[in-house]
Amino acid sequence: MTYPTKAEARVALQGAEQARRSVIDQIGMPGWYWWGLAACWIVLGVLADVSAAWWIVLGATVAVGAGHSYVFQRLVGGRQRTGDVKVRADVAGRDAHLLVIAFLLALVAVTVVLALLLDADGAGHPSIWASVFVAILLLLGGPRVMDWIRARATERTAAQ
Amino acid sequence: MTPEARFDELIHPSTRLSIVALLAAADWADFAFVRDQLDLSDSALSKQLATLEEAGYIAIERPLSDRRRRVRARLTPLGRERYAGHVAALHEIIAEAPAAPASVSVED
Repeated sequence: MTYPTKAEARVALQGAEQARRSVIDQIGMPGWYWWGLAACWIVLGVLADVSAAWWIVLGATVAVGAGHSYVFQRLVGGRQRTGDVKVRADVAGRDAHLLVIAFLLALVAVTVVLALLLDADGAGHPSIWASVFVAILLLLGGPRVMDWIRARATERTAAQ
Repeated sequence: MTPEARFDELIHPSTRLSIVALLAAADWADFAFVRDQLDLSDSALSKQLATLEEAGYIAIERPLSDRRRRVRARLTPLGRERYAGHVAALHEIIAEAPAAPASVSVED
């Protein structure tokens, strides 16, 4: 058996790291996920302002939540952005999906607080304005959260 | 747990090492994805996958649920263990002088 030299071993590890990074690059949500979620956010905001019946708003919220849960599981929390590859949980970070969920819950809190503040200020259609503002935050921030998760995964790879 | 360093001649050729490294980061990967990422031809990738499958390092799956005809590859537990051992062996070679003779080619 012939062993590689130090230089050959280094080149071999670089090649392996490059291959690993090509998988890490696949971590993320497809663009339609963020756009769809932002659209649903605005629809819920509109319903909250214009719908007279509370049960319609509640029903729509539950439907969006259930739909999102299904899609989120299909995308495995960002580990299966396409049907081409499924990134391992320990590579993406076992808490990667929790970070996305935490981001979404934070946006829910921002929506509610902002709508209440706008309502207290006497603004017309507070829920619509709050949901539009948060939808923009979602479109801008969602991909950044995934960038951060990818960067963490790359750092872990470099540390190994 | 640190894997036991074990140089693996089957994995070491650069193309196979890249394939195994890619699969080590994934639960599974589509044939076309591996081919495109590593810039290989269909036949070259098929040949390497067949070698790795024969050694029991990877498993080839053909999911029936998709409309498209797909071929997926995944690393087996044996393949994962051997890859980890091989990477550890490469790190050892870099960290210290290799105990075994180096593969130096001498031209006349």
